[in-house]
Amino acid sequence: MQPPILELNHITKTFPGVTALDDVHFDIRPGEVHALLGENGAGKSTLIKVASGVYEPDSGEIIVEGQPVRFGSPRDAQAHGIATIYQELLLYPELSVAENIFMGHAPRTRLGAIDWATMRSRSLEILASLNIDDMDVTRKVGSLTVGNRQRVEIAKALSMNARVLIMDEPTAAITESDVERLFSIIELLKQRGVGIVYISHRLNEVFDIGDRVTVLRDGRYIATEPVDQMTEDKLVSMMVGRTIDNLFPKLDAPIGKVVLEVRNLTRKRVAHDVSFQLREGEIVGMAGLVGSGRSEIAQVIFGFTPAHAGSILIDGREVRITTPGQAMRYGIAYLPEDRGTQGLIRQMDLRANTSITVLRALSRATFINRHKETQLAYSTIEQLSIRAYGPQQLVGKLSGGNQQKVVVGKWLATRPRVLIVDEPTRGIDVGAKAEIHRLMSELAQQGMAILMISSEMPEILGMSDRILVMREGRLVAEFSRAEATQENIGLAMMGDIGNNGKSVNSQLDGVEWQA
Amino acid sequence: MTAHETSQTRIAPAWTQQLRALLRSQESVLLFITVIAVLILSTQTDKFLTVRNLLNQGRLMTEIGLIALPMTYIIVTGGIDLSVGSIAGLSAIMLGYGWYNLGLPLELAIVLALVIGAIAGFANGLFIILFRVPPLIMTLATLAFYRGLAEGIAQARSVRDYPEWFYALGQRETLGIPNQLYFLVIAAIITAIILSRTTFGRSLYAIGNNELAARFSGIPVRRNKLIIYTLSGFMSGFAGYVLVSRVSTTRSDMGSGWELDAIAAVVLGGTSIFGGSGSIVGTMIGLVLIQLLKNGLALTGVTGDATIVVIGSVLILSTLINSVIQRRVEGL
Amino acid sequence: MASITQTVSVRRQRFSPSSILRSVLGSQESVLLLALILLIVWVGSENRQFLATRNMVNVFAGNAYIAIAALGMTMVIITGNIDISVGSLMVTLSMLSGAISVYDGYPSWVSTDLTIALAWVLPVIVGALVGAIIGFIVTYLRIPAIVVTLGFLSILKGLLIIVSGGDRITGMPKGYALAQIRPLEDVSMPIFPAFFQTLTMPVFFMVILTILVALWMRYSPTGRALYAVGGNAEAARLSGISRHRVVMTAFILNGVFVGIAAVMNATQFSVIQVTLPPIELTIITATVVGGVSILGGTGTVVGAMLAAIFLNTITKALVFLDISPFWTRAIQGMLILITVLADLYRRHRQSA
Repeated sequence: MQPPILELNHITKTFPGVTALDDVHFDIRPGEVHALLGENGAGKSTLIKVASGVYEPDSGEIIVEGQPVRFGSPRDAQAHGIATIYQELLLYPELSVAENIFMGHAPRTRLGAIDWATMRSRSLEILASLNIDDMDVTRKVGSLTVGNRQRVEIAKALSMNARVLIMDEPTAAITESDVERLFSIIELLKQRGVGIVYISHRLNEVFDIGDRVTVLRDGRYIATEPVDQMTEDKLVSMMVGRTIDNLFPKLDAPIGKVVLEVRNLTRKRVAHDVSFQLREGEIVGMAGLVGSGRSEIAQVIFGFTPAHAGSILIDGREVRITTPGQAMRYGIAYLPEDRGTQGLIRQMDLRANTSITVLRALSRATFINRHKETQLAYSTIEQLSIRAYGPQQLVGKLSGGNQQKVVVGKWLATRPRVLIVDEPTRGIDVGAKAEIHRLMSELAQQGMAILMISSEMPEILGMSDRILVMREGRLVAEFSRAEATQENIGLAMMGDIGNNGKSVNSQLDGVEWQA
Repeated sequence: MTAHETSQTRIAPAWTQQLRALLRSQESVLLFITVIAVLILSTQTDKFLTVRNLLNQGRLMTEIGLIALPMTYIIVTGGIDLSVGSIAGLSAIMLGYGWYNLGLPLELAIVLALVIGAIAGFANGLFIILFRVPPLIMTLATLAFYRGLAEGIAQARSVRDYPEWFYALGQRETLGIPNQLYFLVIAAIITAIILSRTTFGRSLYAIGNNELAARFSGIPVRRNKLIIYTLSGFMSGFAGYVLVSRVSTTRSDMGSGWELDAIAAVVLGGTSIFGGSGSIVGTMIGLVLIQLLKNGLALTGVTGDATIVVIGSVLILSTLINSVIQRRVEGL
Repeated sequence: MASITQTVSVRRQRFSPSSILRSVLGSQESVLLLALILLIVWVGSENRQFLATRNMVNVFAGNAYIAIAALGMTMVIITGNIDISVGSLMVTLSMLSGAISVYDGYPSWVSTDLTIALAWVLPVIVGALVGAIIGFIVTYLRIPAIVVTLGFLSILKGLLIIVSGGDRITGMPKGYALAQIRPLEDVSMPIFPAFFQTLTMPVFFMVILTILVALWMRYSPTGRALYAVGGNAEAARLSGISRHRVVMTAFILNGVFVGIAAVMNATQFSVIQVTLPPIELTIITATVVGGVSILGGTGTVVGAMLAAIFLNTITKALVFLDISPFWTRAIQGMLILITVLADLYRRHRQSA
């Protein structure tokens, strides 16, 4: 067995109020794919930021090829051959492919000028070495597909002679055929002795390409094991640390009449012909890959990006919704996916954040009643047990879980009948997560209809009365709570259920289909 | 995990916190600078701290003030309007042109000028929301375009000899106070109340801090932007009218450079150029400070326009002080 | 990495008429060039006088100093900043140049030639210094460029008036008039001899500097770093590019080019006076019409130069089309709008 290229030993990293990493180990050997697993908030991204020089650990050591090193900046890590491909790709949209690959270390002529011809040909070489021969290196990166941009990022890492390549959820936003190409590229890199740190939520990917797997949970190191000695169940229980039933205390709620119904809802390029119903007291989970049209359909219902065709019915009556304001008047609330950019106004205080959805109700002749507004803030803090010193606290300074509660609070203030939650527990700690799940359960008991979009399988399985699966903009499957399993949902998300002709994707081989 | 810490943090009584926040605000820093400036200037010359002089300064700053009020709204949302001076010029020209060349009754010509101003602002807003043209670029283009229209319509002719009643707004006093100052004060009070107390004002802050989150919260972002750019155009037109009334003549270069004076007053008043924070009170203090510095320095014998050196420096320094304070508050 | 090379066959790009057309219309520079030629041809066919040598020289020389200043503005805007103090700076440096040339208190060993040389060079150095100060405040003190340069606009304007007392400067020594030199006067040109022989220095400065800067921005690492910082500051940081250093460089060079433009402006006429037309807006307009995105990260100096000439051509053309020159600005304003909308549309289509 070859010695590791990179070792991280006893890494601890704390942020104000949070221990993100607590005595964590990780190492990567040449030519292997080492998967890093854990739930959201488990500390994966903090760990890769330590490995790539973005954060310096509070304690612990980083060893590159036997030598202890200190990464003061991402530049230092790069100099040691460690390259990272983040989810939000770091490219220059207005510059060419070749230039993106070589920015900062472009080949020069003898006079010191940038050698464009060499830059282009070397870019082509690097791409060709990855079996990419269909890319025009003079094209602007901004005009490429996401899959192609990712390949540019990989080429960029190779141009810097990366020996360790860290990939943070590389398959989150790309199409299936792009995923296949990515895997074949990873295979090539392995043969060349590059060590790959692979972060993904999709267990089947880990089994497909992973050699070893390390699991983190709540900032702590759980274990490192060879993938071929693992089973999915074992991995899940390592990640979750307890059985699913204990984690999500879903309460039974009486299911009433249909509140929301959508028929053949279509928005060009993102959602096609989607129809479903939502009943009082019901929690309907919506599964699907990122980009499958889940958030998009929610935003169509919410009027943020209105539908091009199809209809929305509230209490059986067809309604026209073209703005979020209209949706809110029909009692629809939407808790968006990205808390930081879509949900919260970080620079404003808790009071202003909770009242923003109900300003009209809190005001008289457009004058905001400060007293009522403060009352609302206090009652939200109490109802959702938000840990904040008061209504004047800037929400940007709250922890992730408390921030999410503020967003939940601002939507509950509208007293919705239909609550659409998009990744409601992403990136928050386990305690807050359980609280939000309990709250959703209670709201359903009180008769609210809840549509829950989630990428976390345990959450979908644990919370939903019914499960809808989206793929490529279409609703492809529906399961009852009783018939839903991780496998059949996973297959529906990625496979070809409901699509005639095409075979089940090769990456899903070995996963038993039990619809 | 954060929870335990925050709950244990000793919490100071609300009023001391508020007091501290008040003292740290840009408005207080500015007010302090203004008071110091007034004290120093008044020891240098007796002509400065007289009611007559101060009221006259009020008269002179009204036009910029009228523009700086909606400019505060716009900058709070993270936008900017560079076309205000050109709109003022265009409105002024339309007033003279409508009355003199088209033969409209003067009252109607005034209305025409105001309507043109509002339309010009509306057009800015419409392009900004429909085509997502960055406000800086959109209003840079209309800065040239509206000024060009003014020049093209005016053909370098100026209009003068308005009837006597027309000068009442710009040159007369009521109860010893210049007439246009009433408009400025009333406009300032109304815009201040709207910004700080109403749902509309709150939405402007929300837009400036996080436009996407504001849209997701059901705030009519585009409608509100359209309103503030239209308001900005209208107020610029009104300022153009006040100016014509004050200087008795209409020329196509009226209002040149006003955009920068207005922006200077707003930014000096503590409104972040990136949007999300700011107040009308701050803008008014900024406006007064600029005018007093101009006037006081001129009276103490500092060469005329040289006072703007001081203003430019104060602008940069006060922003610097503000950003240092902000950084300390946010613990960066 | 050596093992990769073997399998490679470097593919040539395919060219087809439609792809060439698309790439021509896809770049702002070629659109401008085409528009410029069409405009000249059209106005010339309406009125032959327009094509007279004298007028053609005016068309190309009239905005040369704007084009030179736009070189610096292009860099500043590409890094995602802006400088609205350039107008004041340019007039200040013009006055400085004139003042140095007419000052009579030099010690006896300073010859007239040296005085003139100082009058040409010193404004450029002072421009660089002012640029460095602005750059320092923007980067290290972290105040937005628009606020800093708004402040400098006032400061410079004021200083100018203090120092000059509002006087005009006349009586510059013989030999000072750099901008009136015609470098090709005695050279026989194969085509348009009269035109080339009448061309004055500013045009040569404009063309040569534009070529130099275009080369620098394309072939030097720092030149590319301008695009990197403006295109994606975070990515630039991870590529080891220092944003502070790059933005400082852009502002310093901006000062240099404003200095050169000021000298061109000062040496053009026999009187230098404090007039402050809003040149900064003309310069920004030229830059933006030239295809530099106000959001940073893209654009070239060639586009800015063509735009400066184009704007001047419109002004000159109006006279020959019997349109009142008072409509110039309105037409320029329309033009900026159309360019910006076209630019946004193009980007929108590209990203879709």
